[in-house]
Amino acid sequence: MECPESLHVQALFDDELAAIDAARIGRHVEDCTQCRKLLEELGEVRALIRGGAPPERIPAALRVRVMQALEQESAVDLAFTGGGNPPNRPSKTLWIGLLSGAVGGALAASAVFLVLAGNTGKPLIDDVVADHTRSLLSSHLIDVVSTDQHTVKPWFAGRTDVSPVVADFSQQGFRLIGGRADYLDHQRAAVVVYQHGPHFINVFSWAISGRGLPANTTRNGYHLAFWKVGNVGYCAISDTGWGELQTLMRLLQGLE
Amino acid sequence: MDDKRSRFEAQVLPHLAAAYRYARWLASSANDADDLLQEAILRAYRGFEDLRGGNPKAWLLTIVRNCHRTAYRQMRQRNFVPLPAEQEPDSAAMIAQTPDPEVAAMDRDRQRLLQRLLSALPEDHREILTLREIVELDYREIAAVTRLPIGTVMSRLARARAALRAQWRLEIEGESCGMP
Repeated sequence: MECPESLHVQALFDDELAAIDAARIGRHVEDCTQCRKLLEELGEVRALIRGGAPPERIPAALRVRVMQALEQESAVDLAFTGGGNPPNRPSKTLWIGLLSGAVGGALAASAVFLVLAGNTGKPLIDDVVADHTRSLLSSHLIDVVSTDQHTVKPWFAGRTDVSPVVADFSQQGFRLIGGRADYLDHQRAAVVVYQHGPHFINVFSWAISGRGLPANTTRNGYHLAFWKVGNVGYCAISDTGWGELQTLMRLLQGLE
Repeated sequence: MDDKRSRFEAQVLPHLAAAYRYARWLASSANDADDLLQEAILRAYRGFEDLRGGNPKAWLLTIVRNCHRTAYRQMRQRNFVPLPAEQEPDSAAMIAQTPDPEVAAMDRDRQRLLQRLLSALPEDHREILTLREIVELDYREIAAVTRLPIGTVMSRLARARAALRAQWRLEIEGESCGMP
């Protein structure tokens, strides 16, 4: 006979239970050998599937193809609504336009941040989300490709305004895949890129001047975790789960 | 850039990677997956106003799924039936390129094993496992994409996992008995 709690145990495994239920089911699992076994088996099945389904990135050529198709489609829209953009703009212009638009947006957002100074943290969050999204969209995820912390860390010298913590945590499931320089809060921020399963995690670091950091938050489906070490602010952002993001945060903090 | 386009890029395009992952598992070849993704993005853009306040990720994946079904039906009418997802992963498309040939061979073995096990399952089991474990949707999102009540999502997921595990045991026992 199957234990009547088995679907709840599965929900616990899938991180779908609220804290109170999770605690109750957690206690149940301790007492029920059947459910303990189920939990183990669920883990094995997950390892089997994820081990056999490597994370795949969209090929750059396909990304460009999709963006071009979208460009043509929106040009048709504009032609109908009397908008100004000529159709079939060459794709190079599109990419430059996208990038300069985003950087301009980042500049504007930072300026607003200074004016507010009341520290809602929102423009900073917007910047981080925009930088993160752009890094995934524009195939500008990584400037220096390396799984070696001794290659990535020196690369930042002279390219960014801070020297962040860089370490590989492959053992713990967070593989260091590289770094890049990005623009954040009026400065050249260092970004260390990790891969966790199919997810990419960007860890931004920049010099903070007296202001506090925003609280951890979720924006557009991305989780953002903030912390600081001395006067260096860190923000880890990803579409991975909160638990994983916080594990990486703790790993990075443990290095100090 | 016009407003619709920039809203679309902000809300929908962050989920392009998830859509691609899903497309790779639905389509029978990498080429078909490329076409499927492009078709789905265009259809999503045309129907963007339908999203309103919904979950953009689930919405986009629903469109990927519908596009796949349409294409599949058309192929069947022309008597082409694609082979079950026996796709050779092309290494150029993967970021996890390991320089160690032994590790790479082990990865390939694991991929083949999974393909074999999944292709032995019924379509609805394969689909729910893909959505949960590979595209990594939560229950609510799976319910939205498959249009199933959440209770059905939970019970079907449990059955699919048990079925995959049973298939796996069968394979392991088959090997240990020296069967082909």
